[in-house]
Amino acid sequence: MLSALLLIPLVGALLLLVWPGDPESQRWRWATLALLGLQLFWSLAVLLRFDPAIGGAQLLEVAPWVGTLGLEYRLGVDGLSLPLVLINGVLSFVAVAVTAADTSRPRLYHALLLLISGAVNGAFLAQNTLLFFLFYELELIPLWLLIAIWGGRNRAYAATKFLIFTALSGMLILGAFFGLALATGSADFSFNPLLAQDVGLGVQLLLLGALLVGFGIKIPLVPFHTWLPDAHTEASTPVSVLLAGVLLKLGTYGLLRFCLGLFPEAWGVMAPWLAGWAALSVLFGSLAAIQQQDMKRMVAYSSVGHMGYVLLAAAAATPVSLQGALFQMISHGLISALLFLLVGVVYSATGTRDMNVLRGLLNPQRGLPLTGSLMVVGVMASAGIPGMAGFVAEFLVFRGSLVAFPLQTLLCMVGSGLTAVYFLLLVNRAFFGRLDTPPTTQQVVLPSIPLGHQIPAMALAVAILAIGLLPQGLGSLMERSSFALTLPPRVIAASLDSAISSATTTPAIRLEQG
Amino acid sequence: MTVFCTLAGGGAPAITALQLNAGAIAPESAVLVALLACLLVDLAGEEAASRWVPPICYGGLGTALVLLALQWNAPLEPSFLGSFLADNLAIAFRGVVAASTLLSLLISWRYVERSGTPVGEYAAILLAATLGAMFLCGATDLVSIFISLETLSVSSYLLSGYMKRDARSGEAALKYLLVGSAAAAVFLYGASLLYGLTGGETSLEAVGVALQTSATPVTALALVFVLATVAFKIAAVPFHQWTPDVYEGSPTPVVAFLSVGSKAAGFALALRLLVGCFESFDAQWKVLFTVLAVLSMTLGNVVALAQTSMKRMLAYSSIGQAGFVMIGLVCGTEDGYAAMVLYMAAYLFMNLGAFACIILFSLRTGSDRISDYAGLYQKDPLITLGLSLCLLSLGGIPPMLGFFGKIYLFFAGWADQQYLLVVVGLITSVVSIYYYISVIKMMVVKEPQEASDVVKAYPEISWSLTGMQPLRAALVGCVLVTAIGGILSNPLFTWANSAVAGTPMLQHAIAASESAVAALG
Amino acid sequence: MTIASVTQLICFVALSLTLVLGALGVVLLPNIVYSAFLLAGVFLSVAGLYLLLNASFVAAAQVLVYVGAVNVLILFAIMLVNKKEAMAEIPGLLLRRVLSGAVCLGLFLLLLRVDLTTPWAVPGPTPLGEDATTLIGIHLFSDYLLPFELASVLLLMAMIGAIVLARRDVYSSDVITGEAADQGLIEKERTPLLLESPPRDTTLLEKV
Repeated sequence: MLSALLLIPLVGALLLLVWPGDPESQRWRWATLALLGLQLFWSLAVLLRFDPAIGGAQLLEVAPWVGTLGLEYRLGVDGLSLPLVLINGVLSFVAVAVTAADTSRPRLYHALLLLISGAVNGAFLAQNTLLFFLFYELELIPLWLLIAIWGGRNRAYAATKFLIFTALSGMLILGAFFGLALATGSADFSFNPLLAQDVGLGVQLLLLGALLVGFGIKIPLVPFHTWLPDAHTEASTPVSVLLAGVLLKLGTYGLLRFCLGLFPEAWGVMAPWLAGWAALSVLFGSLAAIQQQDMKRMVAYSSVGHMGYVLLAAAAATPVSLQGALFQMISHGLISALLFLLVGVVYSATGTRDMNVLRGLLNPQRGLPLTGSLMVVGVMASAGIPGMAGFVAEFLVFRGSLVAFPLQTLLCMVGSGLTAVYFLLLVNRAFFGRLDTPPTTQQVVLPSIPLGHQIPAMALAVAILAIGLLPQGLGSLMERSSFALTLPPRVIAASLDSAISSATTTPAIRLEQG
Repeated sequence: MTVFCTLAGGGAPAITALQLNAGAIAPESAVLVALLACLLVDLAGEEAASRWVPPICYGGLGTALVLLALQWNAPLEPSFLGSFLADNLAIAFRGVVAASTLLSLLISWRYVERSGTPVGEYAAILLAATLGAMFLCGATDLVSIFISLETLSVSSYLLSGYMKRDARSGEAALKYLLVGSAAAAVFLYGASLLYGLTGGETSLEAVGVALQTSATPVTALALVFVLATVAFKIAAVPFHQWTPDVYEGSPTPVVAFLSVGSKAAGFALALRLLVGCFESFDAQWKVLFTVLAVLSMTLGNVVALAQTSMKRMLAYSSIGQAGFVMIGLVCGTEDGYAAMVLYMAAYLFMNLGAFACIILFSLRTGSDRISDYAGLYQKDPLITLGLSLCLLSLGGIPPMLGFFGKIYLFFAGWADQQYLLVVVGLITSVVSIYYYISVIKMMVVKEPQEASDVVKAYPEISWSLTGMQPLRAALVGCVLVTAIGGILSNPLFTWANSAVAGTPMLQHAIAASESAVAALG
Repeated sequence: MTIASVTQLICFVALSLTLVLGALGVVLLPNIVYSAFLLAGVFLSVAGLYLLLNASFVAAAQVLVYVGAVNVLILFAIMLVNKKEAMAEIPGLLLRRVLSGAVCLGLFLLLLRVDLTTPWAVPGPTPLGEDATTLIGIHLFSDYLLPFELASVLLLMAMIGAIVLARRDVYSSDVITGEAADQGLIEKERTPLLLESPPRDTTLLEKV
């Protein structure tokens, strides 16, 4: 069942490339929409078949591939990967839906989007570290091509930077996987958390460090984040949506699944430093975002800030914080996708993203009222206003991490407050105020956006609100997996943590490897 | 296949009773017959030659490949009284060499004819080089090694100077000749020292036995000389100085053969001599080879970044790739040797696919510069797709065959605790991705208005001239194997493992290194 | 010290002197004709040394092949390629000579040390004397049969290649299409651009 989630986009991409026909026509877009719609439908079917009460990987599909290497085709889904697969399905569909009708080379473009969607699915569903690495590397070249061909003015530089950073991160991850799998002498690339016990703590720390840098490039964490503002800004809107909404989650998925999941002992030793690193990343991202003049770059830096929460929650490794980490991944995916979509609409309507120039876009007759309203919703969600997904995620993260690392959590809360600062700046300058502010001399009339083009953004906003108001559905899906990753509670405020644990549903047993 | 023929006639009866087991060289005989047939057909004139030489070559090389397949896993007997041994390793490498010649010939007809040089002799000299390389893979005697090495080398000098009117070709031939002759002389000096050590034996087995008991400075000197020749043949830094100039100046189909066939023979020589012969010195030569591998990977990949000529860039990239294969050589494990064999087979298809695309581009535009490839996707999607897939495979991007080959090499290296080599390999892989991508960027990313002037003046694509169809067939075949062979690579892995399992020399070395490791810890 | 050993010693010293001095002359003399003739002297001295080692067949082969064929060929080549060219002075030649001399001296000392400290297996194999030719023949047809036959392929192909490279081709046109061809590489040298990449085009289309 799970293989269809790979085959539909990957085989679809191949067919798209070899199908005879004019490479410039619009049929490729409709074909891709159909394929991605089918993929989304299939993901929902997997959701229905998924049983949240069972721990470990479900719906396993196993086939031998290359026995000599220990590479096994092994797919499975659990509470950590299922919401990410769903996010991938939704955002891939949205990305193609908002692709401009006059995109050049549509055949290649849509084939690359399908490839990325399939590769990301593969990475989330893989139950073998070498297989994960294969899919991780598979998405490298399509993304580079998407940025380099369909990007903005500075696309060559941004694409090359993205390529080098991501390739380096891949090699670090491969080295760490080799170190873990071959530590015992025979190749075992499965997700066995007992593997690390055979390795000395020093070696564990070394391998974990390599994995952290590798995934830290992807998440991104300061100071490995420098590729992200360029890549996200220069990429076209659909590609930015995918990059921020889905691809960054590869990094955090790796963080939780491989760093925390496979190296629990070393993680426990490094946890205070990791929490400090998270605080640094959040504060740096937020402070840098305040200075930005380009709206898209500001949203990009906000991603840097928001992904730090996941690291903080993972460092704390309490049941509540881990649940918060998973929530944050989903909510950030939806929120940043929404923000990028809206920035893209503004750019196509006005021709600029410069906040020094844009004014009064919420003007009901001549401006972009619907876009502006959705932007306000998105900004509020990102800042963590109750009623939306961002609040649920941030609350769980902070509540769960405060018992473990109070100082770092406080710093991250400051960062969360800073989110409100910079996004309020954005909304205040670009959307509030008068549309005809001097030095504009003529009356500004912006083209009205047809409703059809606004539907993806509205759908995302509805989803954000839904998760914010009714988080139990998503939460119950992810609970078993988040509890499975928990580390023994830290000495600080152990009683408080146990009080929280008893308030929510507690699993009777600590789960073994999936 | 045991007894094929015995000596007949008068003379000392002892000789006539000896068994030659000449069936082991049946594939080489097929190549030899094809060589002679090419020369004979060439007597009939250039038109007849260009009509008949290609089928003869295909027939000879195809027969050789079939005969090699029939020899697989056959009971081992030394043939020609210890000069030649057709073990699985030899069969694997001979197969790689024969396949590389077959593919090089497929892509060379149009090139050679277009330059106005005779085709019959070209094919004959290339087949002679193949013959030398195939014998080198299986030679187990110092004299046989030298003669086959010289056959391969002299044919290579002739081939690189084949376009004699061009100054670059002449320069390439001269440089290759001078450096190659020096290397052969050095090898002969080392071989003479080994001959002296054994007290008069030339077979590698006897040399190996003699070396175990003599730990004198002479053996170190002999090792250095032999290693220098081997390093020259596989173009390891710092014995690589000839590679960029020779690759840039030689005719491109010849470069294709040199980069794969000649290198495969070099690696087979390395295995026979170093692993088979200098087993008692393996600590020393492994350290030396580690240094060579690190230098090759680093220098080959870093200098390739600065190249503007496609052939030169591929020359430096082949130096880097040789560095990767040396990782497998340095680990004395089953996986290490199997990874070497696998990567050579994968490298065959990737590299020859890339060269086929380059030759096609040269035929159409007459240019070799990377910047001239700008905007090619619009005018020639076949070259764009083929070259992109082959270069991505060389860089180690999944799902291509090169990815699996590289993973196996790094896997084998890590399992044998060669951490330095694997880390350097990983870092230089990233570097190599950068310069392969820069070519793909030219072809795919550049818009039509940024296309180079040769691409703007691109001729109509036609496949009607003789020689274009084989070129297209080779291109498509190599690209298909590179693209799909990765996913279907499990048979290739089993083949590589059985190549190592069926070679007593390697099994002996693996057992020795395992016992050494067990004794240590 | 018997007459035989003294004679042998004198012959060895004389031959070695001519060999070493001749080799030095080949390498160091500026006149290439002198070098070629001294090379013949070197080869003859080597043949003499082979005779001292009781290898009469090899000595005869040395004289026939090296002196008679190779050296004559070298002399022919020098005679035919008689180009007088004014070469520019190479700067720093003295330093290069000193360095290469030092390297050669180092190599010589290394070889000397290695040679003297190795416990060679003395005495070596028993000398064959007049039986050598027969035994060489036997070896060439038994255990060295394969290299012997392969050497014939090598010689054939070297001969063909030499002719191909040296002859003046009557035709130089593409056999299939009949177009004129210059027998050079297909990839032509193009005048290098001043800039490898065009200046940044500010009218690049921006994508949303």
